[in-house]
Amino acid sequence: MRVNAALALAACLAPAAAIFEDDAYHIDFHYALLGCPKHEATFFQKPYAASKASLLYTVSENGTIGAINPKDGALVWRSARGASGNGHLRAGEDQDTVISAVGNRIAAWSASDGRVVWETSIHGAVAEDLEILEQEDGISNNDAKDALVLVAHGSNGVKRLDGKTGRVKWTFEDTSGDTPFQVSSSPTTLYYVSLHSPLLGGGSKIRVTSLSPITGKKLDSYTLSSEGEVSTKENILFAGANTAAPILAWTDKAHKVLKVNIIGTKGVSSFNTPASESIESIVLHAPRKVNSLPHFLVEYQTATGHSAEVYHIDLNKNAISQAYKLPLLKGKGTFATSTTDANVYFTRITPDEVSVVASVSHGTLGKWAMNGSPSLAGAYPVHGVAEVVVKGNSASAIRSAALFSNGQWALIRNNEIAWTRPEFLSGTVSAVWAQLPEEESLAHQLEEEHHQDAISAYIHRVQRHLRDVEHLPAWLQNLPSRILGSVTGQSDSSTIEEIQHDTFGFHKLVISATEKGRLSALDVGSQGKIVWSIDLHQFAPGAAITSPSLKALRGFVEVKDPGLASPLFINSTTGSQISSQHAHNQWLPNLDQETLITYKLSDGELQGFLGTEPATQPVWTFTPPPGEKIIRYTARPAKDPVASIGKVLGDRRVLYKYLNPNLVLVTAVSETGRRASIYLVDSASGQLLHTASHYGVDVSRSIPSTFSENWFSYSLTLDSASRESRGYQLIVSELFESPLPDDRGPLGDSANSSTVLPNEEAAKPHVISQSFQIPEEISHMTVTQTRQGITSRELIVTLPSSNSIVGIPRGVIDPRRPVGRDATAQEQSEGLVKYAPIILFDPKWHLNHKYEVAGIKDVITSESGLESTSLVFAYGKDIFGTRVAPSFTFDVLGKGFNKVQMLLTVAALFVGVLFVAPLVRRKQINSLWTVPQ
Amino acid sequence: MRTSIFALAPLASAASAARFILHIPNTPLVNPSSLTSTTHATLQSSGAPLDAYITRSNSFNFNNVSVGSYLATIHSRDYAFEPLRIDVTLEEAIEGSGDKREKVAAWQTFLGNEWDNKGESRGEGGNGLVIEVQPRMPKEYYQERAGFSPLSFLKNPMILMGLFTLIMVFGMPYLMDNMDPETKAEFEEMQKKGVMGSGNTNTAQQIQNFDLASWMAGKTDTPPRNPSPAPQSQGRKRG
Repeated sequence: MRVNAALALAACLAPAAAIFEDDAYHIDFHYALLGCPKHEATFFQKPYAASKASLLYTVSENGTIGAINPKDGALVWRSARGASGNGHLRAGEDQDTVISAVGNRIAAWSASDGRVVWETSIHGAVAEDLEILEQEDGISNNDAKDALVLVAHGSNGVKRLDGKTGRVKWTFEDTSGDTPFQVSSSPTTLYYVSLHSPLLGGGSKIRVTSLSPITGKKLDSYTLSSEGEVSTKENILFAGANTAAPILAWTDKAHKVLKVNIIGTKGVSSFNTPASESIESIVLHAPRKVNSLPHFLVEYQTATGHSAEVYHIDLNKNAISQAYKLPLLKGKGTFATSTTDANVYFTRITPDEVSVVASVSHGTLGKWAMNGSPSLAGAYPVHGVAEVVVKGNSASAIRSAALFSNGQWALIRNNEIAWTRPEFLSGTVSAVWAQLPEEESLAHQLEEEHHQDAISAYIHRVQRHLRDVEHLPAWLQNLPSRILGSVTGQSDSSTIEEIQHDTFGFHKLVISATEKGRLSALDVGSQGKIVWSIDLHQFAPGAAITSPSLKALRGFVEVKDPGLASPLFINSTTGSQISSQHAHNQWLPNLDQETLITYKLSDGELQGFLGTEPATQPVWTFTPPPGEKIIRYTARPAKDPVASIGKVLGDRRVLYKYLNPNLVLVTAVSETGRRASIYLVDSASGQLLHTASHYGVDVSRSIPSTFSENWFSYSLTLDSASRESRGYQLIVSELFESPLPDDRGPLGDSANSSTVLPNEEAAKPHVISQSFQIPEEISHMTVTQTRQGITSRELIVTLPSSNSIVGIPRGVIDPRRPVGRDATAQEQSEGLVKYAPIILFDPKWHLNHKYEVAGIKDVITSESGLESTSLVFAYGKDIFGTRVAPSFTFDVLGKGFNKVQMLLTVAALFVGVLFVAPLVRRKQINSLWTVPQ
Repeated sequence: MRTSIFALAPLASAASAARFILHIPNTPLVNPSSLTSTTHATLQSSGAPLDAYITRSNSFNFNNVSVGSYLATIHSRDYAFEPLRIDVTLEEAIEGSGDKREKVAAWQTFLGNEWDNKGESRGEGGNGLVIEVQPRMPKEYYQERAGFSPLSFLKNPMILMGLFTLIMVFGMPYLMDNMDPETKAEFEEMQKKGVMGSGNTNTAQQIQNFDLASWMAGKTDTPPRNPSPAPQSQGRKRG
């Protein structure tokens, strides 16, 4: 007991463990994600006119605007998550800004560093399209170029915004009731394309209105008869806004006929699509530059392959003609357009190769066979952008950024994959810890031995050891390099070998599921390497997975989703499906041994059920007082080892912890009373053990809470009407059996007690609470976990406004900190310091240090192989993983231990001994031979 | 530089909505142009806080701020900033005219203090007020790894004790030899009397006989501090 106390004491007295500079970026990893990029809003662009290198800009499906360095895939800058997924991003030529329209917010960003240049918002409407006015009266404007915004879903119309300030120059209001579709500009005129739907149903006509760029006045308007084919916006294909000849194309439902109109003319050219196979989708690719050749490419996707046709526009005759065809290739692929001066090049990206053709003729300028990458195995490119360097008559270099079907955004440089970004991980909604196969199988085998009789168990064991001997030669072979690596401190701990020979248990798999139904496994110990990644839809065809929730069971995970009729079972090491029969056989026996209580929130009351599934009859219900609404409940984690049942005081007496495995913390709020109440409920009996209310609380903000060991904490935002203080509070409460030291409360030392059938007055915990003012809002909190629970815990809180995750040492938020006086010597020896009402988050507590982890939804922690260390994994928009040692790494040598110095010291001592030995020997001989006086 | 400020003018159309700007000046501590683009300011009153990201001109533009009292916080990766209290009120420009205008006032505020406990004023004015915000200090995220230094090695009490013993063992005989006979005799006399020794022997013995195991197990020679013996025995049983 005192050993623990001494350890805990040492941990408390020592300052909180922070991250060492040489550990940062090694023990932790961060995926700074944007989300899957949108095709029409992804482009290469120079951040300023004189820049040598270009950046890759995109707006993602969740409305985040970002710039990526195409060299290494590192994030240069990104905006906060947008209000809606309907985002547009454009950049004018030779501009130092990019302009975005996400939802109703239009903003210009400094292209090189992502600072806001100006921003404006449209009241009561949403930006439907955005274009840059490249030329005015045929002259390119080199100053800040103006933006054109198409406004819809409210007051429809077109607005021209000043490129320098974002001020509205003019507004064209469309009161006809048409559905706005696109805005496009030619050197002299602006075109506003809308869908005119007749009142009596049927197809829609496309109406093109030309506007004066200077005044925004309507110049002309005509309709194209497209009733036969077009019914919704999705039927129209559009390409080449801001080109010399912007075009409008549409097809019929069966994709048999392609109709193309050059905007500004009334003629419609009709082309038959390739008839060999039924076409699933048609995409138009046209260059984006005003001075490029008026050529465009039509991509046809069929069920088994893809092909394309290239068309030329004759500007004098306003005629469109087919120039050449690109042959049908089996498998999926995509096309990208790039321009150099006026020349237009089309890049075809397939999973195996990248090829480039010029728009003028069908001769292949360059072809590169792609070196596969394990992260792209089995995936095909969905859409991409490309940059081509053409010298003479051949393409000398190409780089293309393509989004692959497995959600990886990859840059293909000539024939190699330069980088991949796992953008699909953005939008992770659920994650659980799973164990690696090695541990799993060893545990399994040990259990097998446990169940067999002595002889067969012995044979099994010998066999197992013999099997292990197989690995001995390889192990011996690796030994020198491992020793050398550890001495020089250059061991690279991110190989697969290391995962298998993981002595410290840092390598743990996290299985995560995204809202799009993609399941993947990440190794937290090796920089978040993606071990496998699968699409759940392949196991449940036709199901729409929207919010999967995971549960880890031994060797597999259970996936539940409202869109799934029955849960899926996925092997956690391979990502393959397990039949539910097999899964049930594996895990049901465990359930009989433990009696579980499940909770359900229904009709404003919390109900407790016996067993794993909510049964018909609740064992107990907890109803909050009238006017209060339960918003969340937090149970003590099922796996929560406690090393010591008491807390040793400075005078060596003991305060006994109230350790009840069935505690549930219920948070309820009253909107009218601006009150938040906390109820501590015993989930076995449903009895209320403790309650606390806070007044003047902003109940519209989240109240995160967590429970560990014998203490719980929660955080709330104070309401603006509160006069006493403003900001955010963190409240910590600790439960003890009795307020007196060396006392175990009414239950005393009785051997058995029950909370369900209390014979006398049930023991209620003695609660010590303390609140602290904190500088920032907390969105989520959890507690570190270690194997035995000896190491002091750390409260891990997520701060959404500063994009960080902070580990608050337990000693700082100890509710027993003396208030209003200095700590006595005895209290000091416990590690208690005088209470201060404010806790400022020390930058050294930040687990994320210089990373900025945005949009964290949840943080999960797990024990590692070492008692000192807990693994942390945060997910949401970004993915972040690290390991923390709240009481320092007392059981492992850190990087600060200089092995070379130690070896040198030993060598120096040895040399010293060699020198001194003759001296000593001579002295001994002399002493023997000297005659005593 | 400040063009962006004027850009926002047409937006403040709502009657009781103020706009103001928080600006980071160029100080010896921080060059605001070096701050990351994720630097942003929040205004918290009730409900979701208002948010503004840093602009190219190193400022945060707030538009359409309704009447209320706000806690302004600046979140930066590299620097800590002081929090501010910003009040937006509607006041009559000329008394009795009935023409109400927004008034913005900013003060220093102190976390954990009463809200009315305001600090130094940081500006007061109508719409478009520019409030300067001061960075407090840079954020140091990393812990220094204690390197090896001979001085810190010498500061170790174990090493000091060892060195002292070494000096006593080797140095004392020399000292005794070099003493003049009178002092020596005096010193020996003193030792016989036990001025130096007598006090020590007992302590030394105590230290030698110290039972670490029993100390760790909680055995004490001194009578129990707790006057009631019963809970004491209970506690020991469980501990």
